[in-house]
Amino acid sequence: MPAPIIEISHLAKHYGSLQAVRDLNLTVEQGDIYGFLGPNGAGKSTTIRMMMTLIRPTAGSIKIFGLPLHENRFRILRRVGAIVERPDFYNYLSARRNLELLGRLSGADVSKSNVNRVLGIVGLGERAESRVKTFSHGMKQRLGLAQALINNPDLIVLDEPSTGLDPHGMVHMRDLILELASDHKKTVFLSSHILSEVELTANRMVIINRGKTIIEGSVQELLNAGRLKVTIETTQVQRAVEVVGSTPFGEWIQSSTEQDIIMMLNREDIPSVVSVLATADIPLRAVTPVRSLEEYFISLTRESA
Amino acid sequence: MILTAYRVEMSKVFSKWRTFIGIMALAFLIPVIVIAMSVEGGKFLNFATQSLSQNFDINGNLMNGYAVAFIILSSLYVHVPFLITLVAGEVLAGEAAAGTYRVLLTRPLSRATMVNAKYMAALTYTILLVACMAALSLGLGTSIMGTGDLLVIRQKITVITVDDLLWRFGFAYAWAALGMITVASIAFLCSALVENAIGPIMTTMALIIVMTIISAIDIPLFDYLRPLFFTTHMNAWKLFFDDPINWQRVTTSFSVLLLHIIGCFVATHVVIRRKDILT
Repeated sequence: MPAPIIEISHLAKHYGSLQAVRDLNLTVEQGDIYGFLGPNGAGKSTTIRMMMTLIRPTAGSIKIFGLPLHENRFRILRRVGAIVERPDFYNYLSARRNLELLGRLSGADVSKSNVNRVLGIVGLGERAESRVKTFSHGMKQRLGLAQALINNPDLIVLDEPSTGLDPHGMVHMRDLILELASDHKKTVFLSSHILSEVELTANRMVIINRGKTIIEGSVQELLNAGRLKVTIETTQVQRAVEVVGSTPFGEWIQSSTEQDIIMMLNREDIPSVVSVLATADIPLRAVTPVRSLEEYFISLTRESA
Repeated sequence: MILTAYRVEMSKVFSKWRTFIGIMALAFLIPVIVIAMSVEGGKFLNFATQSLSQNFDINGNLMNGYAVAFIILSSLYVHVPFLITLVAGEVLAGEAAAGTYRVLLTRPLSRATMVNAKYMAALTYTILLVACMAALSLGLGTSIMGTGDLLVIRQKITVITVDDLLWRFGFAYAWAALGMITVASIAFLCSALVENAIGPIMTTMALIIVMTIISAIDIPLFDYLRPLFFTTHMNAWKLFFDDPINWQRVTTSFSVLLLHIIGCFVATHVVIRRKDILT
């Protein structure tokens, strides 16, 4: 069995009495798009900075590609591309020049064609010669991804990659992440506060709060755990309430409008409820599970706080 | 790797326009001084030799290119450190201020290699600036005002013949480079300690000003401090225009400057090695 791509054990970082990260554990397997979630101040960026050797851990260990990070920094970082927090560059240089200089330090191919290719991937091909100081935040974010890809890394660490992107840019970024994992067999470590982004891209995830791991697992498993909030839209709300109220499936919690009711249901009970309502000739417009990663995230981080 | 990192640093240094401020300042100032001296240098010389001319008969082309180069070296030596700190004080702090440590240090590049490459780039700029100063002063001075003996008035009066001058200027400019490397090293260390580019410039200049003032005040207590200050030994370039040259003093000054350089360089390595990149 191949070694995990990232293996973090009992990681801690203290700044005096402040414990930014404490006893953090996670494992990222090859080919994963791994969501790294947590509220502001949870320790996500501190963890990524430790993974990228920008800060030293107080305790614990980080292994990447099966190798201890600090003893194998050079070997590991040759195979890693990263965006760490804000996309900052040498503003007085062009996008191309930034990539050439940073690529050279990574031992990457910085030929014109390769730089053009990477700039093309992130949609900055036409602005290659423009100085970065003329770029919007979104363009810098895309250039951030370009510099992470310039050395054709096996592991891509992305810290809030969609911040500052417009809706088109966010969709493009999401598609790009999926493409990197599926077509190019990259492993992606994706820290994000945009939960839908993780829900739509990641296959596994961890939620951290106050520097500690709260839960880790596959996104689907975590989403399916527990009960869902389900909105049932119908033209006969009163009858629907009477019918579902007499079933043992779930708890009717409210009629939010004149046209729907909301129930708390186990995922596997949803077809049965639909069937009961259909049998009672209640016309259904839509049955929508509204339990999302966002709700799950909020409930978990609230509990852990 | 160090050569790649050095080339990258040089590309960055020479892509900023602040790098050219120093070179442009010298390229403007030195020709102005040389031309002014060629027009009114006689008056300057008469003023400087006023007391001598009562007892000595002074003949020949004394206001020549070498004399102008000597005067320029004496006067600009005080101001060139500012131009040096503009670049050397920014090489590390500039990365912190711009947040670019994050893209730089996530490369397969050790912090030691990064520090070495940046230091080499700062030294290259420093040496280039002194070389510009030398080339412009001597080149323009001798081509416009010709050559001749050099009259040096210090604790004693020394006349250095024209064929004995070029090597002395060579040593003087090499010493100027050493002095400026000391300044660059101090600015470099300050640059590692802070996260804005203004701090190192101000701190280094403040150190130079404070030490120069203390050196200039003739109080016995300061006699113990003066030999420890790098500013005292930066001025040792004038020793090369004594006859005979006091090599013991040259060696002492060289050792003090070298200790400053090594101390700052090692301290910078320690600071950067231990630094958490939080910007």
